[in-house]
Amino acid sequence: MVRLSKSSFWSWPSVLRRNGIMGINSRNINLIFPLNPRSHYAVVDNKALTKKLCESQLIPAPETYALIQHFGDIKKSIDLLFSLPGFVIKPTRGAGGRGVLAIANRKGDEFQNAKGELFPLEQIKYHISTILSGLYSLSGHPDQAMIEKLIKPHPAFNELTVAGTPDIRIVLYKTTPIMGMLRLPTKASRGRANLHQGAVGVGIDLETGITRGGVWRDRSFDIHPDTGAYIQGVVIPNWNNVLKTAMQLSRAIGLQYVGVDVLLDAEDGPLVLEANARPGLSIQIANRCGIRTRLNEINIKQGLSRLS
Amino acid sequence: MFNRNRTAILAAVILTAAFLLCVWLRMKYTWKPVWAHGTRGWRLTYDISFSFTKGDKIQIAIPDSTPQNRLWRETFSHEGILLDLLRNKRTKGRGASAVSMPGHERGRFFAQFDIHLRPDHQSKLPASEEKMSANDRAYYLRNEKYIQTTGPELSNILKQLSNQKITKTELLNHIFDYCAENIAKGQKDTFSDATNTLEHIVGSTLGRARAMAALCRASKIPARLVAGFILENNQQAKVHYWVEVFAQKNWQAYDPENGYSVQLPITFLPVSRDSIDIVRGIKALGYQSRFSISQMLPPPSLASSQERRLWNIFDLTRLPPSMQEIVSLILLLPLAALITTIFRNIIGIQTIGTFTPGLIALSFIHADWHTGAIVFVIVLCVGILARIILNKLQLLMVARLSIILTLAVLCMVLAVAVLDYLSLTPSASAVVLPIVILTMMIERFNIIAEEDGLPNALKIFALTIFVAASCFLVMKVDWFGRTALIFPEVHLLNIAILILIGRYSGYRLSEIWRFRDVTQTPLN
Repeated sequence: MVRLSKSSFWSWPSVLRRNGIMGINSRNINLIFPLNPRSHYAVVDNKALTKKLCESQLIPAPETYALIQHFGDIKKSIDLLFSLPGFVIKPTRGAGGRGVLAIANRKGDEFQNAKGELFPLEQIKYHISTILSGLYSLSGHPDQAMIEKLIKPHPAFNELTVAGTPDIRIVLYKTTPIMGMLRLPTKASRGRANLHQGAVGVGIDLETGITRGGVWRDRSFDIHPDTGAYIQGVVIPNWNNVLKTAMQLSRAIGLQYVGVDVLLDAEDGPLVLEANARPGLSIQIANRCGIRTRLNEINIKQGLSRLS
Repeated sequence: MFNRNRTAILAAVILTAAFLLCVWLRMKYTWKPVWAHGTRGWRLTYDISFSFTKGDKIQIAIPDSTPQNRLWRETFSHEGILLDLLRNKRTKGRGASAVSMPGHERGRFFAQFDIHLRPDHQSKLPASEEKMSANDRAYYLRNEKYIQTTGPELSNILKQLSNQKITKTELLNHIFDYCAENIAKGQKDTFSDATNTLEHIVGSTLGRARAMAALCRASKIPARLVAGFILENNQQAKVHYWVEVFAQKNWQAYDPENGYSVQLPITFLPVSRDSIDIVRGIKALGYQSRFSISQMLPPPSLASSQERRLWNIFDLTRLPPSMQEIVSLILLLPLAALITTIFRNIIGIQTIGTFTPGLIALSFIHADWHTGAIVFVIVLCVGILARIILNKLQLLMVARLSIILTLAVLCMVLAVAVLDYLSLTPSASAVVLPIVILTMMIERFNIIAEEDGLPNALKIFALTIFVAASCFLVMKVDWFGRTALIFPEVHLLNIAILILIGRYSGYRLSEIWRFRDVTQTPLN
């Protein structure tokens, strides 16, 4: 493991402040409460609604094959599943990648995921019914199951992928991107791209779309913890379209401070995965830069007062 | 423009001012001593030391509030024993039950009861009618070792007393007159049982009381003995005995020694009914007891509570001691919430659940915390294991939670039973853990372990326990509970502080550590 920093154990609050670092309290009080009205959360918290919004605004997102709302619909969807080469089943209100089942292949009557594990039809049906009954929604409320197209991960990230699919998180303030980060799943995160679960975040230069240093478990990191590959200097393909897609969604969604997760498909390019009304703050460590600095640049441009 | 921060500060200032105003009003109005005529306070002190033999269980009768005597404060301290407060089912009397702590051969019980006499309440005595069950009736008519309801002498006397056709009330008066006047007062060592007292027409205080009870019982009037104290300055107070007779649907007191009937002076403080011993051991034991009584001035707040004024509602010290205990415990909960808020929003410590630490701490306040901790750990371990096994079944959430709740209950009960079997927890009041909170804690622990990995879950769990322990240590300080009881308005101040914390947008303490690499690592 290579740790670049020879840092002391803490940074004084004054130093953090000078660098424009935003803390959780400040994010909640100065950004989320005033800028993200609660009434808009329904769309962000439900992937089916986010997807509907994308479709109506012509924002690219993975194609939805079916939305299963009732137990009676499960039977009807079987023919559809057999007609598809690959698909992903996910709960619309799941969090942290729980309940997501990706099928890449079919072997006779059985389905197969990317690792080669086999799933008989019965198991697929059972999985859908557990989603509907709310097993994966944190509140335990009944949920809906979404069947969508399986993403073909872009080859640009092959060297950095050990499990799961990397995605790109763009944080936007008043529809302007202020920070970006490539999120790489690790063994520790068990294939999920969430930073607090152990994924690596790699800061992206917004101008060029080239990655720089990263963050892992809140520490600055310059290599992938599983492979040891260098994570900086990777050119994100289609970068301008990634930004454009994120901006389109943030405009449509009505939240002024939002994180948009974008997937890069090898064929379809950037696709919106989901939006987040409370994007995390570790992105600052990945980019070695505070969010407040960026916010104030925009505030000054728009003639607004600076955020203290 | 509406400035939230300024408004929040203003609200906090207003709340603080309201708090100060409340304190000032309280000092001014409720603390002014306005003594009603004849108001007196007494302090009864128990000092009892025992030497144990194995398995001894001691019961000590203690006073309770009566319409005229209000118990407004009590303090207990003890050495070498584990204490429980109980209430007798039949007589409703209060008692302290003590067992020896393992490894202790001697024990000491020390208690102070501050009693406030309210003479004006005497006249307002509600003539509440009591019903006596056939069972109780038979019980209070029974033949006892020292209250013998049969015997030639007793029959003779009863025949004499009821030679004409008279009512029961008249008979009762005759019996009382006979015991008070005809039976001579003997020395301390004279007869103290009913038969001998009646036979020799001389008896001790106890003997005369027993004689009266025996005569009543033989005449089918339920009667019982009362042991208590007469409140007067006395460093060596002796236990006094009198009789209570169930007549006209009420227990009426008779004191043959001093000649009081139907109603005793308010200085008579009953302590133990139907049993003449203040200290009772289930097995024979040696003990020394000393009771002392001294006059004292009740606090001014009691003086004003003589009158029914509306603001007395805000004076929680008027509540009976047992309720005061509960109220002060409830009043501590916001303090725990404040501590948790500080830990979460200012220090930046994650906890499982918002109020979990406070509620766990609360449940430990009155329990023996060693036992509590053992049971806590057992319940958690079993719950988490069960949750892991249940996960394989993929049950729906409500059913799953209910199963964990059931297991937690079973586990807690079983743990208490096992600890009792191993004589590790001799006190029954040991543990009542907040089961629902525990269940949610187990559930959250498993979800975090599943989503963010076991190390993360263990970390958050340990932090939750740390915050709970901090809450416990603060809540354990008596001063906070007492202050909150006297000045419940202190919680206005609590709200003011919470408003300020709620608008605190600075860094959390954990963030100066979390974000240290942003400023210290150069970007290549």
